[in-house]
Amino acid sequence: MRVLHYVNQFYAGLGGEDSAGIGPRMLEGTVGPGRLLAQLLGAEHEIVATLVCGDDHAASNATAAQELLEMARDAGAEVLVAGPAFGSGRYGLACARLVAAAQSAGLPALASMHPDNPGISDAGEAPVIASGATAREMRPSVQRLAAAVVKVAAGEELTPADGKVTPAARIGQLVTQRSAARAVELVLRRLGGDREATEVPVGGFGVVEPAAPIDKAASVTVALVTEGAVVPAGNPDRLESARATRWLRYPIDGVDSLASGEWESVAGGFATTAANADPNRLVPLDAARTLEREGTIGRLHEEFLVTVGNGTPVATARRFGVEWAAELRKAGVQAAILTAT
Amino acid sequence: MTIAEQVGAPRIVPGRGIPYPSGDPSLPPAGEQQWRRQLVQCALDAVTTAVEHPTIFEAGVVHA
Amino acid sequence: MPVLRRMVHEVHSIEIGAATQYEQHQLMVGRDQAEALFADPALASVRVHVAAPGDRARIVAPLDVVEPRTKGSAGGVFPGWMAPVNRPRGGDTHVLRGAAVLAAGYLPRNQEGLIDMSGPAAERSPFGRTNNVVVEFDRADEATWQEAEVALRRGLLRLAVHLADAATSAEPDTIEELAPPHRPGTPTGGLPRVGVITNLQTQGAFKDVFVYGRSMTGSLPTLFDPVEVEDGAVVSGQYGHPALRNPTYVHQNHPVIAELRARDGQDLCFAGMVLCPEPVAQADKELVSTHAAWLCRAASFDAVIVTKEGAGNADNDLMLKVDALEADGLTAVALYAELSGADGTGPPLVAGPRSGAVVSTGNYDQRIKLPAVDRAIGGAQLRIADADATAAVEIPTAAILSALSPLGAGWLTCRAEQELADQKLVGQMLGGTA
Repeated sequence: MRVLHYVNQFYAGLGGEDSAGIGPRMLEGTVGPGRLLAQLLGAEHEIVATLVCGDDHAASNATAAQELLEMARDAGAEVLVAGPAFGSGRYGLACARLVAAAQSAGLPALASMHPDNPGISDAGEAPVIASGATAREMRPSVQRLAAAVVKVAAGEELTPADGKVTPAARIGQLVTQRSAARAVELVLRRLGGDREATEVPVGGFGVVEPAAPIDKAASVTVALVTEGAVVPAGNPDRLESARATRWLRYPIDGVDSLASGEWESVAGGFATTAANADPNRLVPLDAARTLEREGTIGRLHEEFLVTVGNGTPVATARRFGVEWAAELRKAGVQAAILTAT
Repeated sequence: MTIAEQVGAPRIVPGRGIPYPSGDPSLPPAGEQQWRRQLVQCALDAVTTAVEHPTIFEAGVVHA
Repeated sequence: MPVLRRMVHEVHSIEIGAATQYEQHQLMVGRDQAEALFADPALASVRVHVAAPGDRARIVAPLDVVEPRTKGSAGGVFPGWMAPVNRPRGGDTHVLRGAAVLAAGYLPRNQEGLIDMSGPAAERSPFGRTNNVVVEFDRADEATWQEAEVALRRGLLRLAVHLADAATSAEPDTIEELAPPHRPGTPTGGLPRVGVITNLQTQGAFKDVFVYGRSMTGSLPTLFDPVEVEDGAVVSGQYGHPALRNPTYVHQNHPVIAELRARDGQDLCFAGMVLCPEPVAQADKELVSTHAAWLCRAASFDAVIVTKEGAGNADNDLMLKVDALEADGLTAVALYAELSGADGTGPPLVAGPRSGAVVSTGNYDQRIKLPAVDRAIGGAQLRIADADATAAVEIPTAAILSALSPLGAGWLTCRAEQELADQKLVGQMLGGTA
């Protein structure tokens, strides 16, 4: 079978973060992890070409996946493979979107990434094969991926035994005992010695690998971002007040302060009286602008990014984070101040 | 423990209330301006500091 | 200690008529009498409707909900609103059980939700099962929304009293005697002393819950007589997340208190309650949580069920209290709704406790298809679905009023897919051997 392999700019050998903005392109034959993949696939399958896109470009351009898919079709792809993306959010999102687009267009496709990769929820109907968390686990990850490709090429279904990620869903259901009665039952079970009893697992912490510090704020571009739902008065773009499905951007070049009456918060989760009386209480534009003028901030990014963090599912919020990171990197921003409510 | 720490935010500058992360309506206007400036200054100090896990930077305090 | 008696009159059907009367479990709502109770400079007009369980009706943008109650001509219900705060405690309160009064319609700071009187949404909301008197309203041009909101609350409470007044001479179906909780030191026969902490939202206009007519903003937690909550001392003015809202009705029938009473003397000893604000500053949240745990210890609770109002930062209040209680050696259980995304695969809690246990009141994001209805009250449009108010729609559970009640009034939970599959398998095996 004719296999096309997708990797990001780094694994294609085209450069690191400095090249993350490059657009979709196709390279002949295999590169980087594709060589190992080709070797493991054996003689029956050939990686005819490698698709590449910069992570920032892929994560911040909705059309990138479609462009890559068209290239794959032109190259006569019969199977599309993406990754492994390990734990990298932007790369994972790029892989997920591409295989989702391919699968829904009838081209068998699969991606490889760590099960905690924020991009995983965008893979749609396409299977995702678990990789390790980092490139240190390249070999076992590609081995597993190669075996899965062979199965997909043979038209077989992938199962968790193949490393297919099947997120354990928690299903809501109606029960006869109302929640208050179950709370009393649970208290009694715990008092009775069953200290592990709970309806939802407790504990567990988010782990975010901190970015390296910047050298001096005076020499970089700094962005303001918020989940406080600050929008122009009247909410022309109809940002949701809860359960965000999207984020927006508003230009602030030449604006010294967010004036009351011109900007408002449409967040539904907290009292907005104070913020609407002075929207700088949610996005500190006036102070940041002063610090820019004084030279403490090199440059303030020309727009701020905004969504509403009110009842937004964690998976959605993580995806927004990946997209914001790509967006800001692409624009040359090196630090961001996120105001949260 | 704050939500910011629990979700793993690496660099955290505490505000004074959920409805006004970069303000404090209890202060007179000049005092609030000063506070907001301190918050942003503190955030800038935070992004120039290496951290390994969720770390709180208090505004109005000098960070070495 | 005076004992409260709730004289329960069941309402089995409801209609609008010329004059309010209650007879043989039928409630007739006098239209003119009811509408006159909303006379206020902030309201241009009101319209009274009824919606009963089974009706193909949808209530759009429900605001607060109140259970009809009265203490008769002496007055005394809803202290701080309809009665002085120092009115005598206890006595007899007449209750129209199975009835509810509510306002519905556009209010800018209200997160729009709905109640269906039939179909899947009706099964999920406590108010799909009550005979509802629904008040639509128009704000007076010269009034602010805040003034209109206060006028609506006063009108609803008046209407609640007015309707219950019609039953004062009827023979009650049941009489509920609500004894005070057991004091510290009372012999329990070895039963654990279990109490409840209830957090109330305290963020000002449209985001406040009232205790004796006042906000708890700035207060420390307080030990509180649960009988007073059951007799209407807590009134809601909070319009956040519809499914996570605790309307006045749910406080009047505080589900955790009710369930603790139901087991009192059998499996546990009902030890009392602590009311807490939900401050907006982290330091205050931590102070309130530590202080609440200290009160529970001082009141000799062995275990505590903790409830909240709202989402996001309110989850932090819940988490801090559970952790503070467990650190003090008390057993704690909190009620949380899950936010695991439409497919249920995301992390269920944003800010859960590190210890203790959690009851799931359902998944906020799970989507539900609702069939079309014949009529809608409260608005012609359902904005959250961008559809006609009567249309068949698909909505998140988050929009169904009190479906995910953090006070425990709902019947939803979540189970892991695997667990459900195992149950089904066990069911089949049992079926096979039978």
